[in-house]
Amino acid sequence: MRLPVLQRRYRRAVLRLRSALTVKMTLLYGAMFAAVMGVSLYATRSAIERYADGAIRKEMTAGSALFDRMTALQFRQLAQAGTVLASDFGFREAVGTGDAPTIGSALNSLKRRFGIDHALFVGVDGSMAGDTRQLAATEMTQLYDALDAGREQGIVRWGSHSHMVAAAPVRAPMLTGWVVFANNMRTGDLRQMARLSAADLHPRLLPVAALPAGLRATSGATTATDEVTRGGHHMLVQARPVENLVPSAPQMLVLEYSLTRAMAAYSPILTALLLFGVIGTLLAIWGAFVMSRSLARPIVALEKAARRVSSGEHAEVKVETRDEVGRLARSFNLMVNAVEARERQIAHMAFHDGLTGLANRSLLREQIALALQRGDGLALFCLDLDNFKSVNDTLGHPTGDALLCDVAARLTETCRGGFVARLGGDEFAVISADGAGHADQTGRAIVNALSRPFQVNGHRIVTGASVGIALAPQDGDDATSLLKNADLALYRAKQDGKNAHRFFEEAMDAEAQARRAMEVDLHDALRNGELELHFRPLFGLSQNRVTAFEALLRWQHPTRGMVSPIQFIPLAEETGLIIPIGEWVIHEACRVASTWPDHIRVAVNVSPVQFRSSTLNGIVLQALARSGLAPQRLELEITESLFIDNVEATLASLHSLRALGVRVALDDFGTGYSSLSYLRSFPFDKLKIDRSFIVDLLAHEGATAIIRAITTLADALGIETTAEGVENSDQLEILRAEGCGQIQGYFFSKPIPARDVSALLQKLDRDQLAA
Amino acid sequence: MRILLSLLPVATLAIGIPAARAGDLDLKIVDAAGKPVSDAVVTVRPAGGVPAGPIRFPWGTTMVQENIAFAPHVLIVPVGATVRFPNHDKVRHHVYSFSKPAKFEIKLFGKDETRSYTFKSVGAVALGCNIHDQMSGFIKVVDTPFAAKSNAAGQVRIAGLAAGTAQVTIWHPQMKAKDNEQLILVSVPGSGSVVKSAAVALRAGR
Repeated sequence: MRLPVLQRRYRRAVLRLRSALTVKMTLLYGAMFAAVMGVSLYATRSAIERYADGAIRKEMTAGSALFDRMTALQFRQLAQAGTVLASDFGFREAVGTGDAPTIGSALNSLKRRFGIDHALFVGVDGSMAGDTRQLAATEMTQLYDALDAGREQGIVRWGSHSHMVAAAPVRAPMLTGWVVFANNMRTGDLRQMARLSAADLHPRLLPVAALPAGLRATSGATTATDEVTRGGHHMLVQARPVENLVPSAPQMLVLEYSLTRAMAAYSPILTALLLFGVIGTLLAIWGAFVMSRSLARPIVALEKAARRVSSGEHAEVKVETRDEVGRLARSFNLMVNAVEARERQIAHMAFHDGLTGLANRSLLREQIALALQRGDGLALFCLDLDNFKSVNDTLGHPTGDALLCDVAARLTETCRGGFVARLGGDEFAVISADGAGHADQTGRAIVNALSRPFQVNGHRIVTGASVGIALAPQDGDDATSLLKNADLALYRAKQDGKNAHRFFEEAMDAEAQARRAMEVDLHDALRNGELELHFRPLFGLSQNRVTAFEALLRWQHPTRGMVSPIQFIPLAEETGLIIPIGEWVIHEACRVASTWPDHIRVAVNVSPVQFRSSTLNGIVLQALARSGLAPQRLELEITESLFIDNVEATLASLHSLRALGVRVALDDFGTGYSSLSYLRSFPFDKLKIDRSFIVDLLAHEGATAIIRAITTLADALGIETTAEGVENSDQLEILRAEGCGQIQGYFFSKPIPARDVSALLQKLDRDQLAA
Repeated sequence: MRILLSLLPVATLAIGIPAARAGDLDLKIVDAAGKPVSDAVVTVRPAGGVPAGPIRFPWGTTMVQENIAFAPHVLIVPVGATVRFPNHDKVRHHVYSFSKPAKFEIKLFGKDETRSYTFKSVGAVALGCNIHDQMSGFIKVVDTPFAAKSNAAGQVRIAGLAAGTAQVTIWHPQMKAKDNEQLILVSVPGSGSVVKSAAVALRAGR
């Protein structure tokens, strides 16, 4: 448990470190400064090295020149001493006469006088006298050859020592030989000489063969330089040519100096430079760290704030500077505030109705849920306006919307302490913490409040409202069931005549479920062919035969059995299923009627819903075309209720139907809002006198008068009449007497299936023949 | 130069210009570089030996000191000849010789003073002046009449040699050889002359 936490923390720390601006900048600047310092240190060091090297070489050149000067001086001294002897007349006489003892003693005497190491006489014929014992044969030969070749001074190696040799010719007056003086150049003498130069160059005279390995390639005539490492010291070694008596066996002046020691003199400078470099680098790192941290801090603050904002918190950053980062911070704050404002707006839109500003369905459900969660009892009122659609249709949507706003205001006013919401369209809902008794009062108050006329856009509008009430917790323990139940109660209130309030009851639920089940079945009925048309004959009294059949819808349900049209037709109208069903009915009726004799018409009832749909004309045309039925053989029966809502639209639709050539009959004439005015407005082909008048014929005297009035009116207008529900011969006789054109009813025949129509017609013909 | 001019008739006679006769030896002496060598003394011992009788040379037996120099630079004298050393300079000279054939000193004589010395041995005598180291002269004492020195062109003629092989000795003060001389054998024909060229090695100017 602890380990993963630690790992995560470590990984986050590493991540933060890796991405941290501060670390990046610090490292970059530190590395850059260190690199610059390194380069300058290196450059300084190599410059010093070059300088030291150059200085040593210059010193060596100077030392070599000094050596040359000193040897030249010594050569001159030796030569002078030699000349003194060589020009002495007595010595010349001794030489001329070959007086060896005299020559030897003269040489010795002069050697002592001048402090010279060796003195010799070399005859022009190669003979030698004096200090010849120290010389090897080859050295003698070399000496003679050098003198014979005209060289009179130079450095030569005798034995293991270098000697400076100077010769003075002896002439008597012809050249008879040379006085040769030589001084041993001991290392000590060289060291002494070295002390005169600025640096101890450790001078030595060495034959070429004895030179250090790197210098041995020289011919002896030019300066050779080499660098060697000896005993941990880096040495610069130079071999410089000197004046040699025997060029074939040259000696060289070897000078050397330790570069390491020369560099050591500069090491304090380099150390100081290195120290400054380290201090400078540390300072640069520190400076870069401080600067980048001050740069990164506001960015980190911004990043934290952004993270908090993204997790839904409110966060602002402090604006500290006026630079770009400061401006970014200011913009960030502005952005956060703008986003939050928009968020609030969006949230409001999500939970409120744009038109009225009331809560919407979502918020209502939330409130219900909250109240239920608290355990409070509550009453949910669902209501809708009774006539809103006609307001919208007649006065226009702006007025409708204004009405809704007024309704909202009145509801809010009425239900103080309650929660008012608009569910959509003209549907509203109210929650209040009322108990059942108080809910009844509230429901009535709402109905009353909305029954008062509204004054909207100069229109006086009277609308009622129906209210359904569901109580929690007994009517439901969640928002969905409460809303459904309140809706059922509302449905009941509307069914019961509107402008009232109803409480939800369990039975409503059962009824609703039954309706729902039937609705589902009805869907299937059309598809499964459970629907069937039965036909009720209309009997022409003057023709004394069947003149038409009225098509009646029958539903033979596999389990329910025969379902009454009274049960399912309203349901079909409510759910809109009446449209496809009605279409099927027209098609089926036309198809069946086309098999009948030409003088027999078919009458089809058209539901108000079907009548108002724009598809009716098309369906009628299609049915006629498909069946080949003559238009005048199809009779559409409509009810008076069509004229209640919109007379103009109804009349227009009737005229367009009539234009197709079909007949139009007015069904159930004499009930409801029967008005004679629309008989004048539209030339109906037929009036069907409601069965209630026929039933009354035998019971009331006045009924006959009404029938007579109707038939007289119809005759006058050229409209046929049909009496519905004729059940006995008395009724028939009265109707016949009063001039009714056709009758229908059980007295004549109950409705029959299509297959029985021809049998019925044959039987009736037979009866007629029999009569 | 004046001395050379005064000697010219003698030399002309000796060389016998232009035609060489039978028994004449014409030598041209050059150094290693082929440059003519003057003041080389040629002595010839012809086949059959040197004829008896006193020897006389046309150039006399006087060695003058003039302009701090010996004139002539090289003087050939027969053995037994007495050479006079007149001093024509205003300064004094101290003529000396450490050479084996004649060791002598003639000290500190003044202007126009003349001393003489008789050379009794054959050989080359190097003359110097103890006062003036740069002065140098030579007297070649010979025992043959057939002797002459080369002129500025390095040419020398010895006339009247008997036919046969002659021993010819060339001497020069700077010759790089023992006693500064070298011997060559020359075949002299019965009729006609011999023309020869001889190269000698010299020491560098000392």
